[in-house]
Amino acid sequence: MAPKTSRRDFLSAGLMLPVASAGSKMGFWKPDETAGANTAGAKTPGSEVKLDYRVLGRTGLKVTTVGFGCMITSDGSVIERAADAGINYFDTARSYQHGNNERMVAAALGAKRKQIVLSTKTHAPDKAGMQQHLDQSLKELNTDYIDIWYLHARSNATEIHDDMIEAQQLAKQQGKIRFAGVSTHSGQKELIPWMVQKGVFDVVLAAYNFTMDAGMEQAIATAAKAGMGVVAMKVMAGGLRSVKPSDPMYQKLTQPGALLAALKWVVNKPNVATTIPSITDNDQLEENLKAMGSQLSAGDQKLLAAHLEMIRPVYCRLCGQCDGACQKGLPVADVLRFLTYADGYGQFALGRERFLELAAEHTAVRCGDCAECTVQCPHGVHVADRMARAQELFA
Amino acid sequence: MRAAGLMLIVLLAAGTAGAQDYLDCHFVPGWEPSGAKRQYAADNLFEYKDGGAEGYLSFGFVRMQGITCASGGNTLDIDVSEMSDADSAYGMFAANLDSSQPVAKIGMGGQIQKQGATFAKGKYYVELVEVAANPDSDDTATMRAFAVKMLEHLEGRETPPAALEWFVKEDLASTRLVPESVLGLRELKRGYVAKYKQGQAILVQEESAEAAVSVMKSLKDRFAGATSVTVGDEGFQATAKYLDGICIFRKGKIVAGYANMPLAQDAAIQAAKLAARIP
Repeated sequence: MAPKTSRRDFLSAGLMLPVASAGSKMGFWKPDETAGANTAGAKTPGSEVKLDYRVLGRTGLKVTTVGFGCMITSDGSVIERAADAGINYFDTARSYQHGNNERMVAAALGAKRKQIVLSTKTHAPDKAGMQQHLDQSLKELNTDYIDIWYLHARSNATEIHDDMIEAQQLAKQQGKIRFAGVSTHSGQKELIPWMVQKGVFDVVLAAYNFTMDAGMEQAIATAAKAGMGVVAMKVMAGGLRSVKPSDPMYQKLTQPGALLAALKWVVNKPNVATTIPSITDNDQLEENLKAMGSQLSAGDQKLLAAHLEMIRPVYCRLCGQCDGACQKGLPVADVLRFLTYADGYGQFALGRERFLELAAEHTAVRCGDCAECTVQCPHGVHVADRMARAQELFA
Repeated sequence: MRAAGLMLIVLLAAGTAGAQDYLDCHFVPGWEPSGAKRQYAADNLFEYKDGGAEGYLSFGFVRMQGITCASGGNTLDIDVSEMSDADSAYGMFAANLDSSQPVAKIGMGGQIQKQGATFAKGKYYVELVEVAANPDSDDTATMRAFAVKMLEHLEGRETPPAALEWFVKEDLASTRLVPESVLGLRELKRGYVAKYKQGQAILVQEESAEAAVSVMKSLKDRFAGATSVTVGDEGFQATAKYLDGICIFRKGKIVAGYANMPLAQDAAIQAAKLAARIP
């Protein structure tokens, strides 16, 4: 059983980790300040931005600690500008906009292709499909090799078949890819150690941010120790962007630098070689560049702590530790999710519909009837209150 | 108050049930449901579209309902995504279309392929993905038949966003909705982009003329050496490293213009043509 760490302990520990790795190396980029140049977002034209590099595990690739997630970028000029600024890791996928994303990335990188590390992903379910995807990716990306080719969005080992590994290894032999990887958003704490044991993957692309518990930190450390390159995504935790204006913390959490604090938190984790925040505009690019080589300040820590404090009573991290804990047998995590539909997304009908799909003995439970709640969320969710609210709303 | 609440619950529940009328495997003879209908909201879409959910969310995704149908050894996943409005649904379609294939007049726009289809109608974006026993089979007719029947059951607009008509037609390659930061500029929050043989045009609608004036001021401050031009109510032209020759103008509450033209003057000439087409 995983050690039970309180959210506050985790936060304290996580925020006090040493800054940057000893292996980091620095370079500098100076924003273009020629007359007529697009200085979009360059608040201090002429100021130098530090470029911080780390080695991506056993691949030996030297990557900037801040990379570029191209998924929702809609204008290639931002990618081009990022490459000029020195960012050298760019990530896309076969499935993004049905291939249109790969096409845009290729057009934007153009002649710089050889100077950057380019990754893409396949969601194909078998070897033949993967090979078809790879050839299509090579064509769309206008390149004769992919640096890192990921199996896209795998949640557990059963989703990675031997023929998929064969396809990756064959592609390596053919020179179509340099390194093999897996991208994962969930089930990571089990999947990453399995990947390490398997020994055939060079890189893991994992969702990792300041809201996650210590178990994830351990999984990342295991991968890094085994020589696997670690690339972090979902580094902004999404939540910072979803804070609503009506929230009392809105002003604080949306102030300039809030997103940067979340990125810095990950960049300062020595086991992470690079990150791929989604970047949609030049301002965001300029801000992200500042995360390289900069320490997590006391102000950053306060911002992240405030965000965690805000989401703590309601935010289910899907850790599964409440499974079977309710004396009445309630599927607590499910009910919390249904409540999020109503409270978080205004989808009352959907929340109620899902709630009413539960077994009758569960929809009949009234938490107010229990003298004491047996579910203690290690992350601080006020389970009894939330269950009572769900029953009031839906039952 | 309580009665009103109950009424709201009943109406919302009824709305949900009605919405699923467009999901029916029997729309095409020989197809049967396989498994239960599925439903996802913004917070759990990743469970189904793991690794691709953000692409939906950026276009104002509200929820998705889907069903899997089976016929012989073939299966067909039908997923209907409800977006925040019809423009967003069209934007989702345009972002995902295969530019090497023609766009058909299906709802606001659609593409029918051998083993799949996409189209948008009203605030709904629809995806059909077939996994056929014979990977080479041409099931275009089946895809079209499902699409046609679904169109009858989906409510909403069948015409593309009106603003697309404003773009100059000559040498037009493609149009799309950019949900965030048009041209990579944060001030241009959401708008349409038209790609041409040379350069690209933009159309961004602000809430008011005052808001558009403010956006124009902020944009002009970004570009060193920007000079005023007489296009629309106000405009400027500039040369920028990544956007080349650029001309942005305002007409009422619309901010529009051209970028990636060889010279700023070229952009201004094209911008004047665009301004003349905006009502």
